[in-house]
Amino acid sequence: MTEVVTPNGFTLDDAGQRVVVDPICRIEGHLRIEVNVDDDNIIRNAVSTGNMWRGLEVILKGRDPRDAWAFTERICGVCTGVHALLSCRAVEDALDIDIPANANSIRNLMMLAQFTQDHLVHFYHLHALDWVDVVSALDADPRATSELQQSISSWPKSSPGYFRDVQNKLKRFVESGQLGPFANAYWGSPAYKLPAEANLMAVTHYLEALDFQKEIVKIHTIFGGRNPHPNWLVGGMPCSINVNETGGVGAINMAWLNQVSDIINASITFVDQVYIPDLKAIASFYKDWNYGGGLSSTNVMAYGEFPAIANNYTNESWMMPNGAILNGDLGTVYDVDPRDPEQIQEFVTHSWYSYPNPDEGLHPWAGVTEPKFELGPNALGTKTNIEALDEQAKYSWLKAPRWRGNAMEVGPLARYLVAYARGNEEIKAQVDGLLTDLDLPITALFSTLGRTAARGLECSWSAHKMRGVFDDMMANIKAGDVATANMDKWEPHTWPTDTKGVGIGEAPRGALGHWVHILDTKLENYQAVVPTTWNASPRDPQGNIGAYEAALLGTPMADPSQPLEILRTIHSFDPCLACASH
Amino acid sequence: MQSAPISDAQATTPRKAVYVFEAPVRIWHWVHALSIVVLCATGYLIANPLPSIGGEASEHFMMGNLRLIHFIAGYVFAIGFAVRLYWGLVGNKYSRELLYLPVWRKAWWRDLWGEVLYYLFLRREAPPSVAHNPLAQAAMWCFNTLLGLFLIFTGFALYSEGLGLGSWADTWFGWVIPLMGGSQSVRMYHLFSMWLIIAFAIIHTYMAIRADIMGRQSSVSTIISGWRTYRD
Amino acid sequence: MPTPETFYEVMRQHGITRRSFLKFCSLTAAGLGLGPEFAGKIAHALETKPRTPVIWLHGLECTCCTESFIRSGHPLAGDVILSMISLDYDDTLMAAAGHQAEELLEQTIEKYDGQYILACEGNPPLNEDGMYCIQAGKPYVEKLRHMADHCKAIIAWGSCASWGCVQAARPNPTRATPIHKVILDKPIVKVPGCPPIAEVMTGVLTYMIAFDELPELDRQGRPKMFYSQRLHDKCYRRPHFDAGQFVEKFDDEGARKGYCLYKVGCKGPTTYNACSTVEWNGGLSWPVKSGHGCLGCAEDNFWDKGSFYSAVTDFGVMGGVESTADKIGGVLAGAAAIGVAAHAAASVVSHMRRDKSEESRHD
Ligand code: HEM
Ligand code: HEM
Ligand code: NFV
Ligand code: SF4
Ligand code: SF4
Ligand code: F3S
Ligand SMILES: [Mg+2]
Repeated sequence: MTEVVTPNGFTLDDAGQRVVVDPICRIEGHLRIEVNVDDDNIIRNAVSTGNMWRGLEVILKGRDPRDAWAFTERICGVCTGVHALLSCRAVEDALDIDIPANANSIRNLMMLAQFTQDHLVHFYHLHALDWVDVVSALDADPRATSELQQSISSWPKSSPGYFRDVQNKLKRFVESGQLGPFANAYWGSPAYKLPAEANLMAVTHYLEALDFQKEIVKIHTIFGGRNPHPNWLVGGMPCSINVNETGGVGAINMAWLNQVSDIINASITFVDQVYIPDLKAIASFYKDWNYGGGLSSTNVMAYGEFPAIANNYTNESWMMPNGAILNGDLGTVYDVDPRDPEQIQEFVTHSWYSYPNPDEGLHPWAGVTEPKFELGPNALGTKTNIEALDEQAKYSWLKAPRWRGNAMEVGPLARYLVAYARGNEEIKAQVDGLLTDLDLPITALFSTLGRTAARGLECSWSAHKMRGVFDDMMANIKAGDVATANMDKWEPHTWPTDTKGVGIGEAPRGALGHWVHILDTKLENYQAVVPTTWNASPRDPQGNIGAYEAALLGTPMADPSQPLEILRTIHSFDPCLACASH
Repeated sequence: MQSAPISDAQATTPRKAVYVFEAPVRIWHWVHALSIVVLCATGYLIANPLPSIGGEASEHFMMGNLRLIHFIAGYVFAIGFAVRLYWGLVGNKYSRELLYLPVWRKAWWRDLWGEVLYYLFLRREAPPSVAHNPLAQAAMWCFNTLLGLFLIFTGFALYSEGLGLGSWADTWFGWVIPLMGGSQSVRMYHLFSMWLIIAFAIIHTYMAIRADIMGRQSSVSTIISGWRTYRD
Repeated sequence: MPTPETFYEVMRQHGITRRSFLKFCSLTAAGLGLGPEFAGKIAHALETKPRTPVIWLHGLECTCCTESFIRSGHPLAGDVILSMISLDYDDTLMAAAGHQAEELLEQTIEKYDGQYILACEGNPPLNEDGMYCIQAGKPYVEKLRHMADHCKAIIAWGSCASWGCVQAARPNPTRATPIHKVILDKPIVKVPGCPPIAEVMTGVLTYMIAFDELPELDRQGRPKMFYSQRLHDKCYRRPHFDAGQFVEKFDDEGARKGYCLYKVGCKGPTTYNACSTVEWNGGLSWPVKSGHGCLGCAEDNFWDKGSFYSAVTDFGVMGGVESTADKIGGVLAGAAAIGVAAHAAASVVSHMRRDKSEESRHD
């Protein structure tokens, strides 16, 4: 092959130099990216490979559906809790269980807290170093940094002395010669554009955010007993509420509710005074770096999340709406139906799995997970020492999910585009505000930076949303409703013998669905289709490429031996490979 | 060793009464039986507690008491067991039968088969024996000696968890826990053994009473008085 | 290249005063359950040592151990990473990628052969020649073995590295294998939990660095300071257990009063961890305190010990049918009783027949 046009409209050319980046670091799990660059160092072909598989779907077979949430929660500790929630939703759907209003609010609070913390950690600890040069921060003038900080935000930690302290720590750290996690990176690369002062400010907030993120998750600790991996319950939530009776000390009481309220306030403050101003400041220096759009300008999808009405998982209830956009037509938003066998399907033609009919797409209720590791004839190296993969054959531990046959991008940007297209006022105001501030057209969103910006806006949206959900829950408790769990159908003898269910929702990284088939009170089949599986997807039998591969195309690399540009665009999706392959 | 079960040939001649179970064996038998009843009752309730009691926690000690009784009975069971093992070394030849199975003896196997046929109604008379017939001996060895030891080891291993690392019970029995794959597994096997010993006790009691009624030799009175008497 | 500094110097350079350094030492001592006399020893150790290199590898896992680690409040994860250790490799946090990242492994071996700590999160799969977990084109198990060869000691983070955890649950399709079954010739400290508590993780790590020795381990290789007691031994709901006051089902009257969770499956009585004492996320709560029973997440193979909602647990999945010991046992004992009754009836019949035939013979 030299040049090929994929059905979803991308031109691939694998003629030039092959560059392999494995491992991609600062992500969850194990990911490999291979690209071909042409003579001008522009990426012309991209290959995304999931490097791990654990077999959760196989392990879940035959187990008690009420235990499933704990297994699926261990799919990922970064987006902890989201798989547990979706597992509960799927089982509740199959068994026709309604959860109480308080359980719905608590679940929303936990998910919103997850979004807030996960996005914050992603921006500062997994993504920032693609834009921020740590070493350059050593040259900053702390006084100028202080001025910069005070000009963009009212965050109180902004004195020249404070920044000087941080800079001195950093200096001595660098001088010690033990660079730890900052060793061997790409400092000084021409791809870094921030002035030293902005670098120092960002590095300072890297440290502050590391300290602060652990406060947000305390909402999980209060309702779920711990974080990572809080506890959930089929039928509601396990934490009982008792605000005024004997034994309240042993339940969710006023002291804990007050703490939740304080955490919400602190989260709003941190995100609005630190994250959002940093995001804008950094973005303003990279406005010209408008690569990485990929599928975002054509096909995006969201299942919807945060049900305002308990047990109603439709757009009537979703605070973040459901919908799919095809071919960039923001004027038409399709409903995504997880039950329709024609809509969501997974393919394994290029994945290390086998199906009875190799090129068929299977709806998750009919899903099959059968591993089959083999390298294509054009792969370089050996089975246990791969030098280059053969993307014409099987090349990833990820399946290839498709919506009505289309590769889709999911995630904060996709959610924001769907919400924007659906006319959601809050989201529209946020997006338009940011674009005005940065003086950019809406098309600027279709890029690596757009993805990163949408995540930041969503982090703020989530933090603010917690306030409303919390207040509603307090009003409900005040009205005398303290129920948190519905145990009517707890006992297996109350269940139908053969039933199917689906739980859909949004994880920080995008649309997430769990499909269950329960036969004679045990799990007959369990299938999860996960955000990173959509985005990092390998090709399908038609040759459509997934969001990662699409986003890398056309990007110029300053120096192909330093994969900074690849990291930027891949990181903008916030990859989670343990999720993706599970 | 000695104490071959008496063969058919010998048994045809009527016999005088034999002193089989010495006092320590008899006392042990009934103490043992009683401790098992207590252990099963309390153990079952530890695994499946009674419906909750209301009021202040400090006013009740239901589970605490059940566990206390279980542990005391556990000590009785274990110490009795140790005394019985000792007696097996110093007591009369019949007292030894609980300690081993004479699997190397042809006659033992023949009589074992004879007993099986007898209980399947395929043979009119049981092969005579003085202390335990081979079937009883095999059952005793498996379900009393081995199972008893198993319950003691798992029981004290669980007990050591409460006493803590470095306690005597931990030193002696703590190793059982990793060996069986963790504390939860030990509990599960311990609980399962309870059902085995209940099954044994039911069958054993039945056999004993049945033998008394239908057999040619005394049974229940033997474990009370020690003397085996013969009807013909 | 400037010579690496001592831990103390690094702390001083990071703006930490001698007074707060000493305070840190006494807090560390207290956190480890050691007397105040140990504070001085910790201080001395930290004043005279360069930062210990730590190589943090990830196998098959979910990264919740890393996530837990960065929740540490005492010491702050940022201080651990930047001041107390030298985190020379950690794919979740490091800035470099690809071959620049992998080079760091060889550099560490070159500079610190036999001196670095290998922190393992997750475990290697052994099926499919190890290719269920691929790193730089090769099986993860190769990297693990190579880095273990040159390290001083290994920390097995979490239940994945310690026991196998979720991917090793039946039928363990990838043959995910805990570290101690792959690395046989290095000291291994297991810090189980799914994930372990943040302060337990940083506590164990700082102990090893401050004292330059392994913590005292129990029979199963876990630090005694955090894993020597069951949650049940220190659970604040224990008075309700002893009284016989149980949550019968979730969100009932008992649940709102904080009764014991034993009957809804709490594994506190069989789980060794520090949750009921250290608690989670800055001592805020722990599973039982927030109303759900302990899953037993720090125990070997807790996934295959039966339902999370039953005190009496399973032998596991047997031919698709799970059976609790209670059920199997109950059936056995019931069968014995029925068998006995049937046999007794048969005996009576056969006895009567025999009597009859004897009578007829007499006639
Ligand atoms: C015939 C002998 C015995 C029987 C039938 C028996 C039965 C039981 C049962 C059914 C349980 C509950 C298990 C569960 O919760 O799944 C139990 C628990 C226990 N048994 Fe035994 N047991 C016996 C002997 C012993 C002995 C000799 C000891 C030694 C002291 C012992 C110590 C314990 C302990 C420590 C527990 C755990 C109780 C707790 O921590 O709450 N048992 N036993
Ligand atoms: C938990 C209940 C019981 C257990 C575990 C038990 C166990 C034993 C054991 C281990 C022996 C052998 C004694 C030795 O050789 O030292 C024995 C003998 C005997 N037991 Fe029990 N016993 C139980 C209850 C009973 C009861 C309720 C009866 C009577 C109704 C009974 C009648 C006998 C008789 C008659 C013998 C002598 C057997 C023979 O002649 O071969 N046992 N028992
Ligand atoms: N992809 C993914 Fe997740 C998320 N967000 C989950 O569903 O990270 Ni581990
Ligand atoms: S032990 Fe548990 S928490 Fe840690 S990586 Fe493994 S699955 Fe995640
Ligand atoms: S809640 Fe669990 S750990 Fe606490 S006392 Fe009850 S059984 Fe024990
Ligand atoms: S589930 Fe794990 S977190 Fe603690 S309470 Fe149990 S050991
Ligand atoms: Mg799947």
